Amino acid sequence: MRTGLAISGAGHAAVLLWSVLMLVARPYHVDSTQALPIDVISATEFSQITSGAKNALPEEKPKPVAEKVGPPTPPPDDALAKLAAKEIKAATDVPPVPERKPPEPKAKKPPQPQAPADQIADVLKKDEDKKPEPKKVDPKPPTPPKKLAQETPAFDPRNVRELLDKRTPQRLASAADDINNKPFAGDKGAATQLSQNELMAMQARLQQLWNPPAGARDPQELRLEVDIQLKPDGTLAAPPNVVTGGNSPLFLAAKDSAIRAVYRGQPYTMLRPEHYEDWKEVLIVFDPRFMASY
Amino acid sequence: MTQPSSTPSFRRVSRREAILLGAGALAGLAPQQARAIVRLDITQGNVQPIPIALPDFVASGEAETAHDVTQIIASNLQRSGLFLPIDRAAYIERNPNFDYPRFPDWRQINAQALVTGRLAPDAGRLKAEFRLWDVFAGQPLAGQSLSTSPENWRRIAHIISDLIYARLTGDKGYFDSRIVFVDESGPKDRRVKRLAIMDQDGAQVRYLTRGDDLVLTPRFSPTTQQITYMSYGQGEPRVLLLNIESGQREIVGNFPGMSFAPRFSPEGQRVVMSLQQGANANLYVMDLRSKTTTRLTDTAAIDTAPSYSPDGARICFESDRGGHPQIYVMGASGGAAQRISFGDGIYSTPVWSPRGDYIAFTKQNSGKFAIGIMQPDGGGERLLTEGFHNEGPTWSPNGRVIMFFRDPGGNSGPGLHTVDVTGRNEQRTPTPSFASDPAWSPLLS
Repeated sequence: MRTGLAISGAGHAAVLLWSVLMLVARPYHVDSTQALPIDVISATEFSQITSGAKNALPEEKPKPVAEKVGPPTPPPDDALAKLAAKEIKAATDVPPVPERKPPEPKAKKPPQPQAPADQIADVLKKDEDKKPEPKKVDPKPPTPPKKLAQETPAFDPRNVRELLDKRTPQRLASAADDINNKPFAGDKGAATQLSQNELMAMQARLQQLWNPPAGARDPQELRLEVDIQLKPDGTLAAPPNVVTGGNSPLFLAAKDSAIRAVYRGQPYTMLRPEHYEDWKEVLIVFDPRFMASY
Repeated sequence: MTQPSSTPSFRRVSRREAILLGAGALAGLAPQQARAIVRLDITQGNVQPIPIALPDFVASGEAETAHDVTQIIASNLQRSGLFLPIDRAAYIERNPNFDYPRFPDWRQINAQALVTGRLAPDAGRLKAEFRLWDVFAGQPLAGQSLSTSPENWRRIAHIISDLIYARLTGDKGYFDSRIVFVDESGPKDRRVKRLAIMDQDGAQVRYLTRGDDLVLTPRFSPTTQQITYMSYGQGEPRVLLLNIESGQREIVGNFPGMSFAPRFSPEGQRVVMSLQQGANANLYVMDLRSKTTTRLTDTAAIDTAPSYSPDGARICFESDRGGHPQIYVMGASGGAAQRISFGDGIYSTPVWSPRGDYIAFTKQNSGKFAIGIMQPDGGGERLLTEGFHNEGPTWSPNGRVIMFFRDPGGNSGPGLHTVDVTGRNEQRTPTPSFASDPAWSPLLS
């Protein structure tokens, strides 16, 4: 038993020693990438930011506009005419039909290369989509799938996105008679937080009023931080509190000029009263080091 | 194996207690709504002259002096280009109380600073008090009481101007100082040149020499009431020392050949100058107490116009050892000199700023003269003013203003001008006649 114990202990010790020496934990090496600043907002905030203004003027919508102009639409009569002709074919053309049964209610075009089959699909779903849009799209979807099927060797760089997209094409770019040139007008959102516009207006006001000592020998001495408390009407609740310390004559002159700018800027009416909780205390950093006139 | 005799006894925790404990722990872990203070970065400003209100000083005694004192302060501040005295016709509160001005009245006319003051005779002397107020904050910024003999009332005005300037700009002032210059009068072909001294605003001109000899390049001593200058009297041009108060003159050293372009060292004990030897000129420094002379440069070139750095460790000078006159910097005891000017043209008359951060110079290029500044390592060269025949820069005691002389040519003569170190605010300094070769004294106080 002793020898067995000794051999076992030695064997265990050897294994442990080997593992300590060999299985060294190396930190995982990560290539440094540029940090991308992100901000996390909730869905409600996002919808509030992008919501339109409630009192905005109603926009006239004369016609639907889309990203590209579609080809002239065929008159609806054609479909009916083809309907009569195709009904006979439908009985014979069995295989494509069952495949069309489970498609989604929207006008979805399965990537079938046969053009006539698609038209049958549209005819079958004619009752469901009464809108002219799918009809307009009709002539086009067959062509891209056909192109894909027939011209796979020819690589068109403009269609890279379509080539890479392996999903079933649901709806390609909608076509209409007019191109959509209107800019996005959704920046009237009333976010719950202090908006960038209010802060930028306050910043512009202070920049207009701030008169730092010019031609200073050491501009870095002119950087200072001022903490201010505001009342709901935008005036100062207390004298400004200069957080950075210093006692050189240049610092004193810079401090005076910063405090003077804060006093002169009253009342800060560009800050909205409903956001008072956010702006009742503001830390202002005055830093003239990179001003052009220096 | 036997059980240990003493075991800690555990009470069974009931389910309700467990749930409450768990909820309490979770509540403690719930994230707090952290409220961050809004931060605003102001990196641009609007550099403007500061609007300042200067109601007349209140006088118990001669009212004229009080009004004149206020006028001198206002014109000093305005001439600096950094202040904008508000027209007194716009004042709402005409006679503010010395200790309690009505700030809303001054805010309404957009005065950012206010000066209240009073003058009173005091046992044969003149006592002046002033207060500088920050109008928008409603607080006093500075205040002082000064006393002097009544005929020195101008100096009181200059000292008060300096105190106001220093408090609002952070830089020392320069108003309590004097200018020595060469006054030129007479027809152009037979100019009479006299040494003259005046206050920096052009007042109280006094002549120091009679005009018998031609005088050039006067320079102030930094510590004593002495001027050194070059005189073409009898014989060779000589460097002389003149005591301003007594009028006594003495020759600096006794050198064979010409000596010129003298300048004091920062502690006032030595004079550095250029001595001619044959076709060359080299720099020599002479100790005024021991009268020993030390040679600083030894080149087959013309080395002239030396100027000490404010710490006395280095000397910048003009030399044509490279072909054209350029600016070089070397140690104060001589040694290897380093060239710092590299632009097109001829660089001359280098002067080191009292702040130590710039060297001013005259630059000549294709017929045009310019006054410029560069850093002591040669970088950041900037021309402040250009024109026909600008020459001879001299620095104000705070290193912010440069005075030079400009000769427009023709039948006219030279005049003195000042420009701010940022290149702005060029002004003309009034002199009784034509004037050249200005030199600015240090602060008198």
